[in-house]
Amino acid sequence: MRTTNLAGRTYALIVLTPIRPGLQDELRAYLGTLPGEDSPLARVERTHMARLLIVDDMPTPPGTDLADPLGNAYLLFTSTFDGELDGYLDELCERLAPEAAQIWGRCIGCPDPPAGAALKTCLAHNQIESGLAFAAYGDASVAQVRSALDKRERLTRFVIRAQNLDPAARRSAFLEEFGAR
Amino acid sequence: MNLPPVLPDAPASNVVGETTSITLFTTQRWWGRAVMPALFVAARAAPGLLKAMDSLSFISFASWSLIRELPYNGPPQALHRLRHQHLFFEVHFNGSWAQYIDSSVRVLTGGMRSFWGSSVTFPGPLPAAPFQQFFSDHEVDLSHYYCAYPEATVTIVRSALELEERLDMFAHRAALLREDAFDAAWDAFIADAQRLL
Repeated sequence: MRTTNLAGRTYALIVLTPIRPGLQDELRAYLGTLPGEDSPLARVERTHMARLLIVDDMPTPPGTDLADPLGNAYLLFTSTFDGELDGYLDELCERLAPEAAQIWGRCIGCPDPPAGAALKTCLAHNQIESGLAFAAYGDASVAQVRSALDKRERLTRFVIRAQNLDPAARRSAFLEEFGAR
Repeated sequence: MNLPPVLPDAPASNVVGETTSITLFTTQRWWGRAVMPALFVAARAAPGLLKAMDSLSFISFASWSLIRELPYNGPPQALHRLRHQHLFFEVHFNGSWAQYIDSSVRVLTGGMRSFWGSSVTFPGPLPAAPFQQFFSDHEVDLSHYYCAYPEATVTIVRSALELEERLDMFAHRAALLREDAFDAAWDAFIADAQRLL
């Protein structure tokens, strides 16, 4: 049966892991120091987008007595990536190894050290299934999106450059830039 | 004329490049536990239900999940049973937080009722200000946000994907064209591809 986590070929992963009592502020501070542009998640190349955040409690609807204290703070990790889950978790656990100790090492039930197959089992155990996923370009992988963006930029530059070329040079420059290699 | 109050927009931690993120948990009314799974099944079976969302062209990815119970990992995690079910929603979009909500409630009015109607304190999609407050009351801010191509909007990504297909086809054809035929073909290609650049 097709998983409910997919939109096209894009998988919506949700992992909610309990944090060791008292360590949520430390973890929040550490996550805040991770660089945005050179995020460690960039090493997991199938990741379109991902987020890490601390859920201290479920938000209480204002003006109601419907507070639902969790009894524990939780680390929420979500990732939208292309392809299947099993291989993605392998890549995540391998390539995020330097940071995993700081991230999932503060969580209950995660292995010590938090790495490899044991971390993968822990993340899979804490997965919450998506009910519904939406993707605006769900059939395109991260590599395809990057390649397309790169070609679009190169073509934009080429169009300007081509205006100053004579016809023979234009064809030759085009084939040089975009022709089959 | 009294203008509606301007709510603060997304905190910096929820934004990377052109992309903004919202993460929401809302408490479900008792009937949400039956209605939401049925809505998910219907939306998966008839993708047309998400077509309006697709037409907005500024939402890249979104997902919904009904949280009935928490994963249990053993002590020292408190063994805890949720009193209510909660709807989890995450979305990545281009533009500001207020613009996202404003455009969504105007274009997806019916859909907003379907997806949020079972949430306690849902004020209805319109007017936008109370709905913005509803989102604000239930939102959780990010500590780390990653996007693989942060400067590209949904429209740019879609254009680039379509353009690449056309460009590859043209490049293949161009290699077979005689020199004197290339210019006319190039002009026609650029005229056709202009809207994607």
